[in-house]
Amino acid sequence: MKDWAKDSLRRVSRTRQARADQPPPVLEDAATEALLREFHPDHVGRGRPVGLGANAGGRPFPPELADLLEADGPLPENFAPAADLETDVLIIGGGGAGVSAALELEESGLSVHLVTKLRLGDSNTVMAEGGIQSPLGQGDSAARHFADAYVGGHGNNDTGLLRILCEAAPDAIRRLARLGCLFDQNPDGTFRLRKGGGTSIPRILTCRDYTGLEIMRVLRDALRQGTTHLLERHAAVELTDDGQGQVTGAVIWNSATGKLLTVSARAVLLATGGSGQLRLQGFPTSNHLGATGDGLVLAYRQGCRLVHMDSFQYHPSGACYPEALAGQLLTESIRAIGAQLLNIEGVRFVDEMTYRDVVAAAILRECRAGRGVNTPAGRVGVWLDTPLIDIKQGSGTLHRQLPGLMHRFARYGIDPAEQPLLVYPTLHYQNGGVKIDGQCRTGAAGLWAAGEVTGGLHGTNRLMGNSLLDILVFGQRAARSMRGSLPRRAPVTLAALARHRENLHQLPRRPAITAPKLYPDDCGLKIKIQD
Amino acid sequence: MTAESQQIEITVSGKPVRAAPGETIMHAMWAAGMAGEIQTGCIGGVCGACTVTLRFADGRPGGADLACMRPVAAGMQVFPYPVEPMKTPPPQAHPTADKLRAAFPTLDRCTKCESCTSACPMSIPVMDAVLRMQKGEFESVAEDFTTCIHCGLCRFVCEDRVKPNDMGMWLRRSLGMSRDYPSLEPPPAGDAANLGPQWDYLLPGDAAETLRRARAFRNTGKTGE
Repeated sequence: MKDWAKDSLRRVSRTRQARADQPPPVLEDAATEALLREFHPDHVGRGRPVGLGANAGGRPFPPELADLLEADGPLPENFAPAADLETDVLIIGGGGAGVSAALELEESGLSVHLVTKLRLGDSNTVMAEGGIQSPLGQGDSAARHFADAYVGGHGNNDTGLLRILCEAAPDAIRRLARLGCLFDQNPDGTFRLRKGGGTSIPRILTCRDYTGLEIMRVLRDALRQGTTHLLERHAAVELTDDGQGQVTGAVIWNSATGKLLTVSARAVLLATGGSGQLRLQGFPTSNHLGATGDGLVLAYRQGCRLVHMDSFQYHPSGACYPEALAGQLLTESIRAIGAQLLNIEGVRFVDEMTYRDVVAAAILRECRAGRGVNTPAGRVGVWLDTPLIDIKQGSGTLHRQLPGLMHRFARYGIDPAEQPLLVYPTLHYQNGGVKIDGQCRTGAAGLWAAGEVTGGLHGTNRLMGNSLLDILVFGQRAARSMRGSLPRRAPVTLAALARHRENLHQLPRRPAITAPKLYPDDCGLKIKIQD
Repeated sequence: MTAESQQIEITVSGKPVRAAPGETIMHAMWAAGMAGEIQTGCIGGVCGACTVTLRFADGRPGGADLACMRPVAAGMQVFPYPVEPMKTPPPQAHPTADKLRAAFPTLDRCTKCESCTSACPMSIPVMDAVLRMQKGEFESVAEDFTTCIHCGLCRFVCEDRVKPNDMGMWLRRSLGMSRDYPSLEPPPAGDAANLGPQWDYLLPGDAAETLRRARAFRNTGKTGE
């Protein structure tokens, strides 16, 4: 880095001391709107309307997603489901939302099966670094939390869901604390609260830069100690229904044996997470291997409506160098504790702590205008001036507060306390998703959904720390709702799939793929069903 | 793109694989069509799925690592080394060394060989932490295991069946559930009474007005403008 970027690095280090206490650049509201329109991928990308299903002919979706929704399922035409296994509640997904739900059903007396495509906890939850919001500070309130998230979401949030999220936040933290999660504390025992992009007051609880890891490993440990029946390496490839509009289970593919397993359930919870691995518009992603939008496909075939499905979050600071780390998340906390964003000239160009979509758009603008720094691998990015943190907060702050960051870069001989990092936006979060009500019910009877697979809660731009909160709160609510209104067991058929296949014939062009996709293209893994 | 001549050769389970300098073992395996031969989760160094052991024919130290984080190097011999999690005993409030011993009877079997420390991809001083666990010095151990991804390598390489990462989890949870959190005390009744008017102000029934009021409210936390 010293060689190919040395002129720019020299400018950055020369101006560092002078920049330390500078206020950030201010952008008026109108200019912000224009910046988003011109540079944010949601607005720049050319989408297309889906040709079938509940959103047919509506707002254009990213073509990568529209293709999946219009694809055939992977089950053979002659496959006739017969229940291999009966359970009360089937949870699909082993990230935070699924496990939150499963733990809530302990001692319910219900039989609960949790199936997950990878292993328990291999999810976006475990990768969340920055923290979890809860209005626990002086002068904060659930209403202020709501106001921040609503403005951040451009007023597109479902106000009912958002109010539930904010009001339930302290209880979610209490629940985690009882399970044994360790959050960072001040010397007086209060939680150390941080600001995030778009929070008007410090509200984010952290466990260093491993908050998602801390939450996921504790949830996972608790789940393994409980009574949930766990099926790892089992991917849901189709939901079953009774032919009358009620979801009644799922057909599951065991990726270790290739065999199919049909599960009959009285209630099904989709907790399948997001879709960063679709790599919209060629962006890198911070998401785990399994984030391929499977739940959207499954729910859509059951007639469920998707909301804000044209809205995705591009996290402003994905790693851009070294090449091996490209796309990986560099937490917003790095900016929250003082790192500035600089272009090749060493000049700040955006308030680092404004909303994620605005910061990402500003970075894309700088790179487009030739004010980015080119890497030897052909990427372009802007500086994240990490050495400023120790200057502003005292020597050793980076090591104490962001051990994950330091550890990752140390492997490549890079010390973020000594030299700035290069960043470029990375596809991070699926803002939209399956429409749910306040009880996490989807439009299909028997089918609930929670977490990143759902849409509406975050509007069209999510704030840092609200998705860890989302999965805990809504995973638990889904569990309570399923328990409180468990449908009767009904027949297991593929009526919805048959209808979908009928509709496929009406399409002018059929994608030559099957969905759910299960794995990203570049890894080369594919579904292979054994008889 | 890296020119063919710049590529290096590694082996995975004995099979030769061409790789580009700077890429990770994981990406080299994907390019070689070998994704099915390794457990994969987050591809970001925190889920612990893609554990491997490494050797070099020329005697350079190998050890264990994560395939998604470790860059390839010429002559590297990679062996996927999946570790299954074990069922752990539940945590207990106010942990002591005796309680830890009762939950993990192999605690004192450590022979100080340090295999665990050298296997840890997160550079945790594992063996030292085990010795401190024996003495009940739990706060510092909990701190050390803050970065533990529970890949299980420390347990897997231990010939004496000590379970460092699982004990670390048990300790952290046991300490966590014993803590008092002043921040989580129920708020004074007066605070709750204030919330009703705040919601009434923010939710007048018109989305545009909610947005306008939310903008004003977040600056002050007060309903007056």
